[in-house]
Amino acid sequence: MTDSRSAADIKAHLEDVSVKLSRTATWSGIETQASYGPNDLPDHDYARDSGDPGEYPYTRGAYPQMYRSRMWTLRNIVGYGAPADTREAIAGALKMGTAGINVVLDTLSQEAIDPDHPALSADAGQEGCSLPTVRDLEVLLEGIDVTQTDVAWHSTMMVYPLVVAMVRKQGKDLSKLQGSHMPDHLQLRLGGWSEAIVPAELGHRTTVDCIEYSVKHSPRWALGCPQAYDLRERGLPASGEIAVGMAIAKQTLRDLAARGLGVDRVAPSMAWVSGSDIDFFEEIAKFRALRRVWARTMREQFGSQDARAQRLRIACHTSGRSLVYPQPLNNLSRAAVQTLAALLGGVQSLETCTYDEPICIPTEEARELATRTQQILAHEVGAARTADPLGGSYYIEALTHRVEADALELLGKIEAIGLVKAVEEGTVEAIMDDYNYKIQGELDRQERILVGVNKFQPKAETPPKRFRFNQAHMESHLQRFKELKGSRDDVVLREKIDALYRVAHRRENAHAAMIDALLADGSIGEVWGTVRLATGLPYDPFRVLESPFGTPRL
Amino acid sequence: MSAGVTIRCLLGMLGTDVHSKGIRTLAQLLRDRGVEVIYLGEHNTADGMVSALIAEDADVIGLSFSTSTYVHYTRDLIERMKAAGVDDVPVMLGGLIHREDEAELRSIGVKGIFGPGSTTEQIVRFLEEVTGKRLSAGRDGFG
Repeated sequence: MTDSRSAADIKAHLEDVSVKLSRTATWSGIETQASYGPNDLPDHDYARDSGDPGEYPYTRGAYPQMYRSRMWTLRNIVGYGAPADTREAIAGALKMGTAGINVVLDTLSQEAIDPDHPALSADAGQEGCSLPTVRDLEVLLEGIDVTQTDVAWHSTMMVYPLVVAMVRKQGKDLSKLQGSHMPDHLQLRLGGWSEAIVPAELGHRTTVDCIEYSVKHSPRWALGCPQAYDLRERGLPASGEIAVGMAIAKQTLRDLAARGLGVDRVAPSMAWVSGSDIDFFEEIAKFRALRRVWARTMREQFGSQDARAQRLRIACHTSGRSLVYPQPLNNLSRAAVQTLAALLGGVQSLETCTYDEPICIPTEEARELATRTQQILAHEVGAARTADPLGGSYYIEALTHRVEADALELLGKIEAIGLVKAVEEGTVEAIMDDYNYKIQGELDRQERILVGVNKFQPKAETPPKRFRFNQAHMESHLQRFKELKGSRDDVVLREKIDALYRVAHRRENAHAAMIDALLADGSIGEVWGTVRLATGLPYDPFRVLESPFGTPRL
Repeated sequence: MSAGVTIRCLLGMLGTDVHSKGIRTLAQLLRDRGVEVIYLGEHNTADGMVSALIAEDADVIGLSFSTSTYVHYTRDLIERMKAAGVDDVPVMLGGLIHREDEAELRSIGVKGIFGPGSTTEQIVRFLEEVTGKRLSAGRDGFG
């Protein structure tokens, strides 16, 4: 060698590019062996623990033919600015080859706060679409028949009442309503909405109310519950996603059963909203363990006799938390691996995170690449060909058993306290905080390597492209909102608000009354604020506004 | 460690931002280092935060943002701190803070900016620098 560089230079260079085994535990923290064999599955019984795809306990997949009989739904998440802005983005996504539209709302709408809130107006339309009234929903979905087209709402508070109110206004048949939303309010409470915005008791009761109303009136509407994606992202290992999600699902099903709605009426409408994190094998094991836990719970604990209630459908969105800001194009690799794990894990719908997720809401280019990732996996890689392709692998089967066992252990602990109490007292949040703290410590000590973050940092980088949009639509949207508030039939609205207050005060299912108030052009902030008041909470969680209706008469 | 050299740090979030896992983890990591953290949590108004700052007599105020409106909220907070006569308290920002906004943030009075990739160590050094107080190392503080 005639290289003039010093030995030290070369060594430093090699250290920088070499690939080493830096960790033998999974990303969630399960210690693994160098190899696995039949001795690691001493009690595994194929018929009992796996079953063929489409057979109980559905470990190997929900359907016998899996993607040969029905492909997953390729979803694309859209939402920013005013309804008219998001309307344009939906049209663009459909043109790009997206089959399913998933609408995300701005943080105000997600918290059931109006866009004209004096302390918070700056947030209107910033991280999703502003959607405070039925009239805004009509603009957003103009020309889309919600009894024909599946629109998925990546949102919880007030969105279902808004959609139902629009269907009623249009004179359509509610029993034919298609689409889905995520009615899991406890997840919000745990995910940063906090007790101020979503108190645990009111939140959980609202989840149960919403599902009761939907199962009775719009049986084709799908319910993304539990919304375990955000729970996982907030700070849970793979097994923790199953544990906390199952705790929420089970408490919800028990409460619905007490209202006369049995598991076989409710569970077929439910879908698990899941993430797909970076540890490929662990995620595949998680999806398999999850279906098994679900099936056994429904049959053995809830007495389900209907396969549709026992066969879990999974709606997956790849992990946003796992993507990093430095050298963001690396997130394309991360998201591709996560997307593949979700497909080998047998999910029913799939959104691939855009590579710019840690930077801003998706640019159009990033959204297109996320779609292409799924198309490459579907058409070139062969990810859809054969159901549960890793089933029977000693490693995957052993991991599936381990994730399941860890999940059932934590689930038992939460249920021993009682779910709502465990949330109210901060036990579940403490589990999440401890997990995040442990991970941050490992990153700080380089016991866990995150490429570009605590090792292999890019040298010099130009700032990544940020999504920007023209605020003109937002200004007219806010103007229209204010005008609407001035032009409503106040007598009718007050009557509906008073009726809502009385129902909510009696702790009865307030959904019908919320829908009536929305139809009278009440806004989400006014309608939910009235429910809050009736529950003994401040009308405005930020304690800036008072109810424009005063305290209604009982 | 005597009470006299304690760094009191108020941590919280403004507006509708819900992504609190970062600031919650930071609160714990700073407590490990002996910082006395007053954790306000999510969903504060600027007025509420200024009141808490006065009531708690904090040495530093730390905000975390994952939403794009951080320049607006930070400017609003600092104006209200000025009006209340407490703008001598240094403000630090963390979370999804873009480099191209740093100059503007500094011009409105932000003293510390800890965007993606920042370490706990950098934040601890900043706290010592702006308060002129030295933390004793390790976990022997206010854990």
